[in-house]
Amino acid sequence: MLLRKFLAIIISLVVGIVFSACSNSTQSSGSSVEKTELKKLDGFDWKRFKGEEINVMLNQHPYAEAIIKRLPEFEKLTGIKVKYSVTPEESYFDKLTTALNAKNGNPDVFMTGSYQLWEYAPAGYIQELDPFVNDKNRTSSDYDINDFFEGVLNADKWDLVPGHKVGTGNLWAIPLGFEINVLHYNKRAFEQAGIKNPPKTFDELIEIATKLNGWNGEGSYGIAIRGTRSWATIHPGYMTSFSNHGAKDFEIENGKLVSKLNSSKSVEITKKFVELIKKAGPKDWSNYTWYQSSSDLGAGKAAMAYDADIFSFFNNKEGASKEAGNLAVAPPPATKNGNLGSNMWVWSIAMNKSSQKKDAAWLFMQYFTSKEHMIWGATQANVVDPARKSVWEDQGFKERISKIEGYEETFNSVIGNSTIKFTPQPEFFNTTTEWAAALQDIVNGADAQERLNQLANDINKRVERLRVK
Amino acid sequence: MQVEHKRGKFVQADSTTLLSNEEIKIPFLRKMRPYIILSPAFLLTIGILIPFGMAIYYSFTNFSFKYAVYNWIGLENYISMFKDPEFWHSVKVTIMYAGLATVIETVLGVIIALLLNRESVIAKSLRIVLIFPLVIAPVIATLIWQLMTNNSVGILSKWLRMVGVDNFTWGADPKTALFTVLVIDAWVFTPFVILLVLAGLRSLPKAPFESAMIDGGSAWFTFKNLTLPMIMPMLLIAVLFRLMASLQMFDIIFALTRGGPGNTLMTLPLTAYTEAFTYKELGYSLPYMLILWAFVYLISHYMVKYWSHTQKKASGK
Amino acid sequence: MKSNKVVSLLKDLGLLLYAMFALFPLVWLVIISFKHDREMFNTTFIFSPTLDNYRVLFSSGEFIGYFVDNLIVSVGAIILSIVVGVPAAYALARFDFKGKESIAFTFLSFRFAPEILVVLPIFLIYQKIGLYDTYFGLIWIFQVVSLPLMIWILRGYFEDISVEMEHAARLDGYSWWQVFIKMIIPLIKPGLVASSLLSFIFVWNNFTFSLLLAGQKVTTTTVAMLKYVSSDTVHYGQMAAAVLISSLPIIILALAIQKHLVRGLSMGAVKG
Repeated sequence: MLLRKFLAIIISLVVGIVFSACSNSTQSSGSSVEKTELKKLDGFDWKRFKGEEINVMLNQHPYAEAIIKRLPEFEKLTGIKVKYSVTPEESYFDKLTTALNAKNGNPDVFMTGSYQLWEYAPAGYIQELDPFVNDKNRTSSDYDINDFFEGVLNADKWDLVPGHKVGTGNLWAIPLGFEINVLHYNKRAFEQAGIKNPPKTFDELIEIATKLNGWNGEGSYGIAIRGTRSWATIHPGYMTSFSNHGAKDFEIENGKLVSKLNSSKSVEITKKFVELIKKAGPKDWSNYTWYQSSSDLGAGKAAMAYDADIFSFFNNKEGASKEAGNLAVAPPPATKNGNLGSNMWVWSIAMNKSSQKKDAAWLFMQYFTSKEHMIWGATQANVVDPARKSVWEDQGFKERISKIEGYEETFNSVIGNSTIKFTPQPEFFNTTTEWAAALQDIVNGADAQERLNQLANDINKRVERLRVK
Repeated sequence: MQVEHKRGKFVQADSTTLLSNEEIKIPFLRKMRPYIILSPAFLLTIGILIPFGMAIYYSFTNFSFKYAVYNWIGLENYISMFKDPEFWHSVKVTIMYAGLATVIETVLGVIIALLLNRESVIAKSLRIVLIFPLVIAPVIATLIWQLMTNNSVGILSKWLRMVGVDNFTWGADPKTALFTVLVIDAWVFTPFVILLVLAGLRSLPKAPFESAMIDGGSAWFTFKNLTLPMIMPMLLIAVLFRLMASLQMFDIIFALTRGGPGNTLMTLPLTAYTEAFTYKELGYSLPYMLILWAFVYLISHYMVKYWSHTQKKASGK
Repeated sequence: MKSNKVVSLLKDLGLLLYAMFALFPLVWLVIISFKHDREMFNTTFIFSPTLDNYRVLFSSGEFIGYFVDNLIVSVGAIILSIVVGVPAAYALARFDFKGKESIAFTFLSFRFAPEILVVLPIFLIYQKIGLYDTYFGLIWIFQVVSLPLMIWILRGYFEDISVEMEHAARLDGYSWWQVFIKMIIPLIKPGLVASSLLSFIFVWNNFTFSLLLAGQKVTTTTVAMLKYVSSDTVHYGQMAAAVLISSLPIIILALAIQKHLVRGLSMGAVKG
């Protein structure tokens, strides 16, 4: 009987190995950054690729909804048929990674965040876009790539060297829309408590937010902040303050990435942030995702929030939430003098390197990142914040955001110094998730310096695994 | 004439000879009959060994979704795993979770099944309704409980505050996170035990119980010596399946805290998933899953042995 | 007799306590399915009910599609499991052959493989053989979930049926098939019904496989459910409505089969 059991395992192992070896051959054929050979075309024509069919993978999101709504227009203009799938964000990247890894050309185009590019690009899943953007025969003359905010477009550029900032190297994706991180506050709450102006410094923020605990009856508290064991906790408010304070996540020393999360600046700002959470944050902070934070702001449970600016955009719409109309926006808190900036999250669309329909795919991508679509999206749909400067000049859009006090001013004061503040490297999700776990431990009482020392150690071990070609 | 040898099984014998196993010439097709009957089920499921084999293969590589090529690295993943204190922490949490969940659900399930097996109006009307929590997918159940236990807006938190308890933060507090996921697990899966035990209870013969009642034994006596042995096989199946499932439980913990706060709830499946899907290190995550698999295999092996033992006992009675 | 009444009352009380625990979240789910997002967090039991959540659910034809997909895949999987599992359980119970316990244990062992272990290799395999995103692809992989439970539960029930009964019926002149259908199946009904229901629930609610092995042409409600956790806010009301509607088949099934959970009384006679 034992022999039989072993036999089964051995047979399956052999078959498994053979199968993997076969798949392996498709693996090695997809090597890294090889030059793209594009056919020479003659003049730009929307209808050149009429009759082609492309597959698009979309994340469940208002940006995707805007695309789906205008698919008929695109199909009419180009004659290209679009098949798409929408996956809830919780599972979107699991599915996307699996699909990209199969390297079979499906999907042709997909939605992605900038951080994911740091994994997908080195693995060779993504098509470089420079050859397409710079080709006058492939890109419409009114596309105007310089219309995009520099910081936002840079978020999608990287030269694949761990430690080099964003904005270097190839363009991997085109932005659809983005978010910067700001302070939201409830005007009613401020009035009630006699607070005239939103806090400017971090210490003022702690003081005011603490004062606002319990402002609206049972269960209400000062400021909503994300706290789950996930990279999503680090990248909004926390990273914004981290970088504004002058702290760095990595430095390059002797050609290697070294974690600086236990530097004195890092420990300082972490301690302040933790103080804010403990004094004025939600009691069950470590369960808080984007959803809880946003809905607490809208429901009048949180007097403030330190998170994506579009929180107020959505919650302030008439009838959208209990506190609609009461929300206002202010710049993130400062810890020292100097230009305030913000970390950002950018949703973009990118092209599958193994796609068989790259030209048709590119037409799709430029259409849905064009001035026309973005203006429509920002005024008629929910594509905020729009990534193109021209949209912010549009009267219709200006009027829309004028309903949220402080939205436009805050954006203008912060955008100049905003981009992705993290150091790009493929182990990003690895390192930031552990960072979030460490933050949770510190909130639960661990000593900040000690825990961050341990974290830096851990991270150094993980980035050692980095295989840089 | 077919004669019974062991209980419930038969050996075909030629009508004239008597029953000596060695002397019986069983035609080949007859001998193959059980295998033939089993083959469809077998064929349908044996295929799972192929992905399994692949998984074993990849566990010896540094296959990662982040890089285009991968190499064979032998036992490196396994060695790093065994050296990592987080791994041992995962093992501890996994065992605690599975053990507690199974015990709670079994005990509670048996009690409720017994209570439901009566003829009172309440028992009869609740009988089918109490299965309902099982109908809700664990992921969804967790979302519901999360909403109910949210400190600001959750209804359970409101009620706790009404009785003066203000600082109970359920899944957000390292001290109560395990308790919270166990509550959710028990809420969803106790009906599983109830259903199986109830089905077993309701198919028990009445005679032994009637005579026991006449003999005047106490309820506990009846339960311990009559009911329990007779439903033991069914109960053990329930326990076995719950144990296997809770060792592999992923949905509830991930949906509630993703393994946090800190590393409080990082069980083996959670760690494996995080390594494979969040960190995209598939090769490194596989040893975690394979160790888990081996663990489940061993435990089930012994439970099944025990099960066949009780099966014989139950029928003997 | 009086103490019996008190004991009986206490027992009923115990049941009610558990019932509160088990049913309150469901009742609450029903309540919030009628609540507008606006009122979600500020009201408890008193609010102005709305049918909006349900309306949104059915307005786009999508949800019906997911529902049908889920139905096809789950019913298909269970039927396949029954057709293949009942004979298998019978064989395991009745016959004595080499490797029997090994094979029985092997069936069980398919439940040992954590889903996330096998889902990625299966994804690659399915892509290669064209079963990705198909009904049969999901039905097949679901066997790993539903078959072991069925076989093991039914095996127990089959073993309980004494062979003599079968012999007696055969001697009476019935064919093997008639004996099987008319006598044996009714006797294992509680087991068949219980295990089918359970397997159906697990397959209906399956998340990992439905997510990664399908998703475009075939989308199940469990996967689609997270849609309501959309990106601007969680529409708990819609989610609640979706959960309730997609639980309906199982609830209807459970209610329909409940009387079959009681076995025929003839059993007691022989076992005695």
